[in-house]
Amino acid sequence: MPTNIIGAGECEAMGAAAASANARYVLRLYITGTTSQSTRAILNIRKICEEHLEGRYELEVVDISQHPTLAIGEQIIAAPTLIKKLPLPLRRFIGDMSQTERILLGLDLRTAVAKASPARNS
Amino acid sequence: MHEGARTEPMLLAENAELRAQLEGAEETLRAIRNVEVDALIVESATGPRVYTLHGVDSASNRFRGEILAQVSDAVIAIDGHQRVTYANAAAERQYGLSPSWALGHLLSNVYETRWLRPGDESAAETALRERGEWRGENVHLRQDGRELHVESSMTVLRETVDQRAGVLAVIRDISDRKRAEDKVRVSEIRYRRLFEAAQDGVLLLDPDTCKITDANPFMTKLLSYPHEELVGKELYEIGLMKDEGASLEMFRKLKSEHHVRYEDLPLKSQGGRHQEVEVVANLYDENGRAVIQCNIRDITERKRVEEHNKLLMAEINHRSMNLLAVVQAVAHQTARTGDPATFVARLFDRIDGLAASQDLLIKNQWEGVDLADLVEAQLAHFEDLIGARVMLDGPPVRLTPAAAQGIGMALHELATNAGKYGALSNDDGRVHISWQFGTANEPVFLMSWLEEGGPTVALPMRKGFGQMVIGRMVEAAVDGTAEVDYRESGFSWRLSSPLAGTLQKGRLASSPGNDARG
Repeated sequence: MPTNIIGAGECEAMGAAAASANARYVLRLYITGTTSQSTRAILNIRKICEEHLEGRYELEVVDISQHPTLAIGEQIIAAPTLIKKLPLPLRRFIGDMSQTERILLGLDLRTAVAKASPARNS
Repeated sequence: MHEGARTEPMLLAENAELRAQLEGAEETLRAIRNVEVDALIVESATGPRVYTLHGVDSASNRFRGEILAQVSDAVIAIDGHQRVTYANAAAERQYGLSPSWALGHLLSNVYETRWLRPGDESAAETALRERGEWRGENVHLRQDGRELHVESSMTVLRETVDQRAGVLAVIRDISDRKRAEDKVRVSEIRYRRLFEAAQDGVLLLDPDTCKITDANPFMTKLLSYPHEELVGKELYEIGLMKDEGASLEMFRKLKSEHHVRYEDLPLKSQGGRHQEVEVVANLYDENGRAVIQCNIRDITERKRVEEHNKLLMAEINHRSMNLLAVVQAVAHQTARTGDPATFVARLFDRIDGLAASQDLLIKNQWEGVDLADLVEAQLAHFEDLIGARVMLDGPPVRLTPAAAQGIGMALHELATNAGKYGALSNDDGRVHISWQFGTANEPVFLMSWLEEGGPTVALPMRKGFGQMVIGRMVEAAVDGTAEVDYRESGFSWRLSSPLAGTLQKGRLASSPGNDARG
């Protein structure tokens, strides 16, 4: 059972809140060592954060190749996986984070088009 | 909540969430199909297991990652845009970063680089461009302001032969080592300065060869040997030990006791000058190698002062005894005349005269007294008359302590009598005090006290202590003869004595000719 099930209405409300300049983002990126996808994912998400969330984000990078147990409880099925823990709702992004527009939508940083084209999430 | 109670908005929200999850699952499958992921995590009975999708490369990547995580030096990889793509645990510790914080950040967010010399940065860039690697030292300034002195080894990472993917840096914090080196450098400068500026001779010797390995500048001054001539010589060859046997004996003792001390060693410099030296030698360990340090102090002057002091103490003792005997005689003789009140006044007066001579002797460290000074001291109460009615005439001479005492007391008596009964008892009388050298069978010292213009002189009724002072006592002091003449026109006193017992040796006349004083 998903640990973060919230109502769609609430989800939209939170998305609107996230669009505000004050929302603080807590992100966690699961990678597997120094593989090319993992390295690209780190660089891409860091660039997105610096450009769109300057000064209001925390990005934790978790290497599950060294410690697989760190994936417990987060329903990680592939790496790299980015989880937006805050602001709610919780969202997941899989891949090398190169599809910037889709990521921005999923992070509710593109609210005008977010409803029409939701980001991939779980 | 009962299922039947779910409202329409709730059902719509649930539906939207399920749709989102479905889209997420589809997206995951799409990402896997498009090879945008490089590992799958599968739940197993023993916990999550990671299955990498890139075969051997992935496994070797992981292996490399594990190794790099274990090394104690900081390892940081950056891409072509200066963004950190890898930082091991040591790098996180070295730069005070929270785990994985650096990843994706610009390297300048992790530390700032300060180059030690102006050309270092361009030299590093050139080396990386042309050789693909650079190794060197510089300073990294952490985010918290702390400076790290580091030694870096940087290697260009390439995707293909021609395509540069980034740079891998292995960075070792050598701040502690640098601090230690700085301390050693400061210590070296400090002790080198001590060695160079010491006012003792310092020799360093090899205990195996017994030869000098270094000498400070004072040592070369002490022995008049240039440094290069001292190095390589043995102690007996520079005159410090009397022969090879003595030198070997010193080394034998040093090896067994690690310390030797010699006082009063005679040392002959290259120019033949003899000096007394004190030698203190120690055997100590210098980074696993035995070294002898020999400190040589020139104690010639100290020995001379010690000898002088010893002599002075004996002299003072002897003089004190003599002085007490004189005081005793003065008291005894004075007591034979007059009433008690006169006795006290006369005794005090005579002791004052004695004290004046004594004072001059002490001021001159018992090395004699200048005669003119003695006359002025004894005639202190006629100070205003000196040069007017009391005329002094004679060359500069220095009396021996015994002569100073005897002549001083005589002058005191002569001045007292002149003031009471003689030339200085009226307004017109004059006294001529003169001294000169003469020759009889041997060189003699001649001194006279001649009075004129005073009251008519009469022979004294009896011979008192004053007569003895200007007669027998002064004769005994200078081993000479004193003559007294009570002529009516003026009293006169003449003293003649051998030069040797009257004047200090080498002090017969500090300047030739007569030095008319007064």
